[in-house]
Amino acid sequence: MPAVSFGFEVHQPYRLNRHFAPDPKVKRKDLLNLYFDDINRELLLRVAEKCYIPATTMVLEMMDAGFSCAFSFSGTLIEQVEKWSPDSLALFEQVATHRNAEILAQTYYHSIASCFHDKAEFTEQVRMHANLMHDLFHTDPAVFENTEFTFNNEIATHIKDMGFAGIFTEGVDRILGWRSPNYLYTCRDIPVLLRNTQLSDDIAFRFTNRSWDMYPLTADTYAKWVAQSHGDVVNVFLDYESFGEHLWPETGIFDFLRYLPEELSAQGVSTILPSKVLADYSPVGTIDVTETISWADIEKDTSAWMGNDRQRAAFFALQAACSYAKDKQVWRYLQTSDHFYYMASKYGSCGEVHSYFCYLEGDDAFKTYMRILADYEERNIRGMKNRKAAKTLRTLSPENAFHFASPAGFIGYTAYNLDQFCELLHIVPKDSIQHHLDRGDFACWITDVLGDTNLAESIKECRERQELTNLVCEWRERLWSHLK
Amino acid sequence: MEGTIVESLKIAIFCWESLYAERVGGLARAATHLAETLAKHHEVHYFTRGWIQDQTIKGVHYHYCQPSGNNIVEYCDSMSQGMIGNFHRFDKNRKFDYLHFNDWHAVQALHTLQDRNTILTYHSTEYGRNGNQFGDWWEYKEISGKEWYGGLIAKRVTAVSATLKNEVMQLYNVPDWKCDVVPNGVVPREFRAEIDAGNVKQAYGIHPFAPLILFIGRLVYQKGPDLLVEAVRKVCQDHWDAKVIVAGDGDMRQFLAERAKDLPVNFVGYIPDSEYVRLLNACDLVVIPSRNEPFGLVLLEAWSAEKGVVASNVGGLSENIDAFVDGVKVEPDPDSLAWGINSMMDDPENAIALGKRGRKKVDRMFLWGPIGRKITETYSRVIA
Repeated sequence: MPAVSFGFEVHQPYRLNRHFAPDPKVKRKDLLNLYFDDINRELLLRVAEKCYIPATTMVLEMMDAGFSCAFSFSGTLIEQVEKWSPDSLALFEQVATHRNAEILAQTYYHSIASCFHDKAEFTEQVRMHANLMHDLFHTDPAVFENTEFTFNNEIATHIKDMGFAGIFTEGVDRILGWRSPNYLYTCRDIPVLLRNTQLSDDIAFRFTNRSWDMYPLTADTYAKWVAQSHGDVVNVFLDYESFGEHLWPETGIFDFLRYLPEELSAQGVSTILPSKVLADYSPVGTIDVTETISWADIEKDTSAWMGNDRQRAAFFALQAACSYAKDKQVWRYLQTSDHFYYMASKYGSCGEVHSYFCYLEGDDAFKTYMRILADYEERNIRGMKNRKAAKTLRTLSPENAFHFASPAGFIGYTAYNLDQFCELLHIVPKDSIQHHLDRGDFACWITDVLGDTNLAESIKECRERQELTNLVCEWRERLWSHLK
Repeated sequence: MEGTIVESLKIAIFCWESLYAERVGGLARAATHLAETLAKHHEVHYFTRGWIQDQTIKGVHYHYCQPSGNNIVEYCDSMSQGMIGNFHRFDKNRKFDYLHFNDWHAVQALHTLQDRNTILTYHSTEYGRNGNQFGDWWEYKEISGKEWYGGLIAKRVTAVSATLKNEVMQLYNVPDWKCDVVPNGVVPREFRAEIDAGNVKQAYGIHPFAPLILFIGRLVYQKGPDLLVEAVRKVCQDHWDAKVIVAGDGDMRQFLAERAKDLPVNFVGYIPDSEYVRLLNACDLVVIPSRNEPFGLVLLEAWSAEKGVVASNVGGLSENIDAFVDGVKVEPDPDSLAWGINSMMDDPENAIALGKRGRKKVDRMFLWGPIGRKITETYSRVIA
């Protein structure tokens, strides 16, 4: 009979200000108020009241009675509870010091930095989180859990090199094949704990589903399912907010939680902490993960954050913003995965999940994001060495971006910086480019918005696409070399 | 395989059209993208025609010749001569490892260079282009003769679908062992745009919420636009607000316009690529009613834009669509087509879901990277 390891992800992002408009009068120290929404406080208080306080009180009692589970707190959450809900923080401190709890490591900003080309930012944020956990809870996490379980070989290698004893990820069928997630595996020599998707989603998603033939799910049934599973350890990992916030108290989720420990022991199933799993069991095989996987949606890949062109445009702009990030804090807040999640365009049951979590519509989320990123970069240019190159290469708000068109109107491609402009010159239909060339639109945009009159002058000489593409791409590379 | 070091090859591609000079149809896009993909790891020279200076774009070296002739066959022979001249200029220091020919146009060059490692790709056959019928005029005989001869002397042959492979095996006695199936690829971003569908529909005088069906292609018998027009008559009985845009031009346009006088069908004629992208992203459903389709690039383009597709159960369309998973397959007749269109329009949510799954299939199977690898596998079989 397997043991069961419970893990809870506790995170809140700093949601962006939906009504943001650039305001040069706002001083640097007040920027956070300008960029981030007042709704954050409101939502945090709501979640604290509905979930953090009641659920944690209950879990503490359960842990006193011998139940054990792991928690992973993001840095942005800790900042918010420190500010707005000290009661929650006090409970979390009790959890962190409890003998039956384990604190896991993650990135401070719950960020997508692990997908960046350059992993330095990622490791830095993992270090920041470790320091926070050390200072606040006097604990040094040994097991790592990446944002939404994002994982691949490269991430495994980095986490191993940082000295962690193990890492969590999703038990994705296409990676495992016939193998069970209920065992320990290794990837690039670091032990990997795999989440049991089925048993985790039974609570997180199916619990309230009235068309599910197992509805309503009770603690004894669930305990039986765990007991009937094969393997060494069943890893159940959930958003902590499931208790009371995603699933309201009226659904009976708290009763489920309260009776779970005794029903588990009635079945003879013991709860176990992740680091104990690593100590007690040895890996039964290796997994090789060349693609990037995660726990999101049914795709179990990065498509929840980088699935559409909008999200990709924002992601690449964010990555390029590294050169502008003199004040790294805001840049790091912008890396939180939730911002990208809001921009998704999913459908079906995953789409419903997306819309539940999103406080604004995908397209608005994207525009708000780009406006804020553009404003942030523009403010940082002043302090940069090569201001001229920085101005030309900066990311633009939707209002300043170049919108490709034909005589009939907008054709659906938008360049938010010179990098994307170069890329789109290869993609956009030839007749649209010819249309803009003939009217001199490119030169105007480059003069007025990017402020590069030299480039604009050279572009005026271009007669066709290839010539233009070569010129702009070379120019762009030269500018970047000035900046680095 | 990723991680293993692949030997860098020197490859010559022969094709009568290219994206950056003389461009006729879909072949230009396919051959150019293939060349650009191969150029990421190999040295690629592209021999084609054009009235401009030789140039290098995205790593591919283009060499142009300027053919002339009184008819298509003479013209292509003249082009082959020009290509051979260019070929020898670049064959001096390091010899080309593989010579890859596309369609019949350059078969004369293939004949001259037949001792080398040659590959011939069939994108279609003269028989198929002629609506699955044999012709008795001399061009037909000449061209299918060249298609047969090319298949005979090339060391290896590829076809863009299993259907086309069977067709060349039957028509030209190309042996099974010699022929690989390598599908076409697509660059999805070229067809996927973030656009307000309502705005585009209004530009055509269509209500922003009216369901829009799109047909794109030449208006010729092979593509079946007449089947669509007849089907629309039936669809309108169930969906009074449905609108159809038929983009493309051809011999049948006059006839079709006459037939569709009393139907909500707008013949917009030939449209530039940018307008195609707009329409493709604004429409609710793409219909491909072809009678014969060796591959059917429109399918990949519609999928790239995440559009639901109703297509004839023929050729490459039949092979690539999983029925009711990523599209709806129908028989090439008006009743069946109308049924397929109705089934999509009755359940727009499902149409969107099928389109999204189609896009996933594109991302998995029809990107140029994996297809480039398939082609190099075929190359390696030339020697083995």
